Amino acid sequence: MQRFKRTLCITAALSIAACSTFSLFGCSTENDVVTLRVANWEEYIDLGDWGEDELIDIENEYAEDPEDGVFGENSMVDDFVEWFNANHDYEIEVEYSTFGTNEDLYNRLSLGDIYDLVCPSDYMIMKLLAEDEVEPFSDEFFDEDNEHNYYVNNASDYITGIFDDYGWSQYAACYMWGTTGIVYNPDLVDEEAVSTWNILRDADYKRQVTIKDNVRDAYFATLGIIHGEELLDIGYGDATADERSALLNDTSDETIAAAEDMLKEIKENVYSFETDSGKADMVTGKVLANYQWSGDAVYIMDEADGDESNPTELWYSVPEECTNLWFDGWVMLKDGIDGDEQRKEAAEAFVNFLSRPDNAVRNMYYIGYTSSIASDLVFDYMDWNYGFVFDPSDEEYFDEELTEVYEYDLSYFFGDGYSLYVDASVLELDGDTLEVSSEMLGEEEYGNDIEYTVYRGGEINRGRQLFGQYPTANIIDRSVVMLDFGDKLTDINQMWIHVRCLDLLDYNPVIVGIVAAVVVVIILAIVLYHFRYRIFIKKYKPRKGYKKIEA
Amino acid sequence: MKLRFNRKQLCIPYAAFLILFVIVPLLVIIYYAFTNGEGQFTFDNLVSFFSSTNTIGTLIYSFALAITTTLVCLLIAYPTAYILARSGFKKKYVLLLLFIMPMWINFTLRITALKEILTVIEGNIAAYPFLNSVIGMTYDFLPFMILPLYTSLLKLDKSLMEAAQDLGASKIRVFLRVTLPLSVPGIISGITMVLLPSMTNYVVLDMLYNSTYIMGSLIGSYFNAYDWNNGSMISLILLVIIFIVTLVTNRFSDKDDNGGREVIL
Repeated sequence: MQRFKRTLCITAALSIAACSTFSLFGCSTENDVVTLRVANWEEYIDLGDWGEDELIDIENEYAEDPEDGVFGENSMVDDFVEWFNANHDYEIEVEYSTFGTNEDLYNRLSLGDIYDLVCPSDYMIMKLLAEDEVEPFSDEFFDEDNEHNYYVNNASDYITGIFDDYGWSQYAACYMWGTTGIVYNPDLVDEEAVSTWNILRDADYKRQVTIKDNVRDAYFATLGIIHGEELLDIGYGDATADERSALLNDTSDETIAAAEDMLKEIKENVYSFETDSGKADMVTGKVLANYQWSGDAVYIMDEADGDESNPTELWYSVPEECTNLWFDGWVMLKDGIDGDEQRKEAAEAFVNFLSRPDNAVRNMYYIGYTSSIASDLVFDYMDWNYGFVFDPSDEEYFDEELTEVYEYDLSYFFGDGYSLYVDASVLELDGDTLEVSSEMLGEEEYGNDIEYTVYRGGEINRGRQLFGQYPTANIIDRSVVMLDFGDKLTDINQMWIHVRCLDLLDYNPVIVGIVAAVVVVIILAIVLYHFRYRIFIKKYKPRKGYKKIEA
Repeated sequence: MKLRFNRKQLCIPYAAFLILFVIVPLLVIIYYAFTNGEGQFTFDNLVSFFSSTNTIGTLIYSFALAITTTLVCLLIAYPTAYILARSGFKKKYVLLLLFIMPMWINFTLRITALKEILTVIEGNIAAYPFLNSVIGMTYDFLPFMILPLYTSLLKLDKSLMEAAQDLGASKIRVFLRVTLPLSVPGIISGITMVLLPSMTNYVVLDMLYNSTYIMGSLIGSYFNAYDWNNGSMISLILLVIIFIVTLVTNRFSDKDDNGGREVIL
């Protein structure tokens, strides 16, 4: 009984301690503070703490003093909490967590992790929508008269148009977007070779190109190869958008089988399937070309330029067949919001705060990806960022030496009349004359009369990154949104396993048999040797009158 | 009130740990392994593992990689441990330390460094995926082989060898008939500690650009495709294989003590 009492005491003491701790938290969350649980990609938001020299010196209408420019002093999340609490009669706090892949996020959700606001990619948004997990945005979120509704007031019509087409607009707000393509070293890789997905199986670049280690990106590039001729035949543009989308979302059994063979060929030719190592390998020159998402391509080019010991000029190419237009968007989850109006308001405010143009610029600067926001401030930032940009009609800024410019048309994104004037050398590829393929730049449709001759600024240009951040209109014309695999996911994953695993059928059955036989013989030999005394040699029996002594 | 614990109560944390982190997860794995996506009981996952040439191929590839790594480790570790244990160096603990020290550095860091070295030696390291994986794993697991060998060789009674020599055995014969058999527990313990982890350590393969899956990466790929059932079944099968291997090796070393495992654990 004594012992029982003691145990009881301990249990009681522990439970009292636990209760008081919980109630302490419980009180504060219930009455005063709303906790917003946000899950975002790793390294996908401005964490602040910029150096003095990192100030983006453009006029910022959202700052207290517009002359202050754009500067990330504190982390974006902290700034949001401060901004929100100043504007509302209740307080919030943000529980910010990160995930590494869409699948990682999905698995965590299925395991019961609760988030209010998450930022998955297009296909994962589709999957969550199909499973009815997503809470729609409120009507207030779409109220254009409210100046705090930065998302609806500033998001590019191009992006919202696509979201409308797929029926996502009510549920998702685009955060970042981009294309897929190939980063390469122009000194060592032929321009023609990187203008097609076939470079992945090009014997000239055996073991010198990396591919993404995830089934969706690998499958997309493979479809680009398998359907390559058809894609080039149907041409670019809106007219054939549906055909193109069908070809690149083709999950028929025959195509999956063809993709398997193609991927096996690619596996034997590429340097590696990489998840993250490709960036460093590209910068250090271990590989010559690298299948990348546009934002990481920008990051790689920046890194290679800034490499003090060995600055390298890298380029980003979007293959002629097609490119995967991808989006990462904010969606609210029903399980998290759970009918709580304040929580929902906070989640929507978070999206709006990130969409405030100066914050969009901060995030773009910090992570290298392209925001969905298309305001003047973002355009000014592009203008500021790519230092060689100038307007030839403006006498004051006209540089005598800089006589060759290219008009980089961004009207599809920012609206009519938005073009950046880019130093032509920024887009120069090789040799003495500018040889920009029309496919790469959309020259046929958007070119101008300025004659291109080469100008090199004497230092490494940073303008090439622009091409990664904002694809030209011609690239948009061959872009495709890759949808969720749906029911076909199992088949495609099986295909992926076939590619990545060693398949016994690939080997001569005789050899497999011999190897198996040898292994079996060796194992048998070891076992027999071990038990040899018991099996072959009779147990030693002591002579009469003697006793065996166990050691 | 005085808080005093008796022995039984002291093992509550241990029991709680065991239940929470060993038994419950194991039950969850077993549950998923024998159910399908709808939660119905099925043996399909088991059948599909053994009926696919890919999964069997992966199993064989993992074994091939693990066995090669173990053999290489053994070939390097045995002479090293022998020399260390038998040598008259006064500072042999310093030498031993030199072999163990890499273990104190995070292994991803070591493999990254190894990658650079291999690049210098081989040029394009993507061309030799199997070789590089073996080198990487050997580098990673060598101390686990050296330590048990070293302790078991150190404990050898020298008089046994002297006796063999006195009775006219040549040095080779002494080694083959006395030293080697007596160090078997150390060898077995080293093999267990190298063979089993090297079957699943796919991070080394990833980092050294081996694109072929081993068991670890195969399990990961199923979980990435939200197929927890097949993933769990493969984990379970791997668990059973490891259990069998441990059982077999324990039979070999049961006469002796645990063969120097205590050095590491």
